[in-house]
Amino acid sequence: MAAKEEEVAAELEAVQAVYGDDCVVLDSYPPHLHLHINPRTADVTSQQFVEAVISIRAGSKYPNESPQINLIESKGLDEERQKFLVTYIRDKGSELYSCLMLVALCEEAVERLSLMNHPDGDCPLCLYSLVSEDDQNKNLPFMKLMSCFHCFHCECISRWWNWLQTEKKTNPSGSSSSTMHPARDNDFKEDVEENMGNCPVCRKVFHTKDFEHVLDLVGSLPSQLSSDANEVEESKNLVYSDSENIRRQRFEATLKLQQEIRGLIEPRRDVRISPGMYLPQPTTTPADVETKESNEQQQRDLPSASEMHASSSQRRNTSEHRNPGLWRKKRMHNPRKPVKQWIRKENMSAE
Amino acid sequence: MTSSSAPSRKALSKIATNRLQKELVEWQVNPPAGFKHKVTDNLQRWVIEVNGAPGTLYANETYQLQVDFPEHYPMEAPQVIFLPPAPLHPHIYSNGHICLDILYDSWSPAMTVSSICISILSMLSSSTAKQRPADNDRYVKNCRNGRSPKETRWWFHDDKV
Repeated sequence: MAAKEEEVAAELEAVQAVYGDDCVVLDSYPPHLHLHINPRTADVTSQQFVEAVISIRAGSKYPNESPQINLIESKGLDEERQKFLVTYIRDKGSELYSCLMLVALCEEAVERLSLMNHPDGDCPLCLYSLVSEDDQNKNLPFMKLMSCFHCFHCECISRWWNWLQTEKKTNPSGSSSSTMHPARDNDFKEDVEENMGNCPVCRKVFHTKDFEHVLDLVGSLPSQLSSDANEVEESKNLVYSDSENIRRQRFEATLKLQQEIRGLIEPRRDVRISPGMYLPQPTTTPADVETKESNEQQQRDLPSASEMHASSSQRRNTSEHRNPGLWRKKRMHNPRKPVKQWIRKENMSAE
Repeated sequence: MTSSSAPSRKALSKIATNRLQKELVEWQVNPPAGFKHKVTDNLQRWVIEVNGAPGTLYANETYQLQVDFPEHYPMEAPQVIFLPPAPLHPHIYSNGHICLDILYDSWSPAMTVSSICISILSMLSSSTAKQRPADNDRYVKNCRNGRSPKETRWWFHDDKV
């Protein structure tokens, strides 16, 4: 009997040696452990779509009785795959009946999970598939939330996020106009929510840092962004877009740095200054005044411009006279202002 | 203030249309148990028949849900009300308004018509008494100007029923 116990203890040691911190031993005899399993591709975080924690609990008759296998938690696995994973490991357990099988079961679990390492069916926001097997070209970029591994098209989740921000800006104290029950006070929540969000699927809290890089991606691909996202009243968009963009730029810089050093860092505020980052942003003054002003400005500027680019400035000139309203919209092209790439989105929508 | 009969005068956005068409196809293949939706030309308003689940207070009863989709669905929640006569339920007002958090504060764009229907049926099924909410008269009076339930500031007090 003691000999058997020793063998089992040695086996448990082997599991610990192989899995290190991923293995938590709750009981040494009879062995009961929790194993955190990742697919084999997990070294590349962007390639990881699933993970799981399984419990392996042997009885006193082990190995002459297969251990109990249970799924403690999982990310990215739909119910079907969860069930399949557990059933598969249990079956292996019965197969290996009477052998010392802990290491083998752990290996099987990792193996099986690696085969399941693909994102879950459809984007929960647009309901179109994330990965279409028939036509790779049709695939839109998608991303996953690190907190829960739920996947979304980048475009869809950014649209949703921007929507929430706009809502918050336009309606900071809630959405309703009148009360019938006393409403809860949201003020406290607002502060906390600034850098947090809830997954649309499971409501698990995530940090906005998780997908700031995606917001950038969409911003730099205006053609992919359907005009719809810009239908939110343009003026509102403009009012807050400058500060929003500065924030985005900062995140971009941080992310780049993180990629370089391959790890998470606290944003360093003193370095990584992007061009124009701290320039005072132009405020949106009443449109009429500024339009006049810029028209005059433009007319003063025109002669010199037309010397250099006669044809193009002439065209601009005529269209300006024909349609002063158009010119107002194009205010953002004012050559005095630094033209930044990340303004392109607003320009596109204004035109 | 919008009226409940025409809550969304604005047409559906392209994204909303795509998403609803997708939901419609999915509904036709796999409708939630106990619900029937007669497909019409109007994608923006669905009228759905609900059958009370067997073994509950509402067994063998049929009600009609009216679902109106806003321009920016699914970012915004749809407006969901019972057409008269609304079932007698502690969270359903006699004007058809439903006090259910997912239709208002707790809406998430990952929810679908189908998941809303399942929530409403489950709300009906767990009811232990056929009665109106305590503040029914006051609320309904307040809504006489045709206010949409989405403009109410709901206070969700009880998740048992």
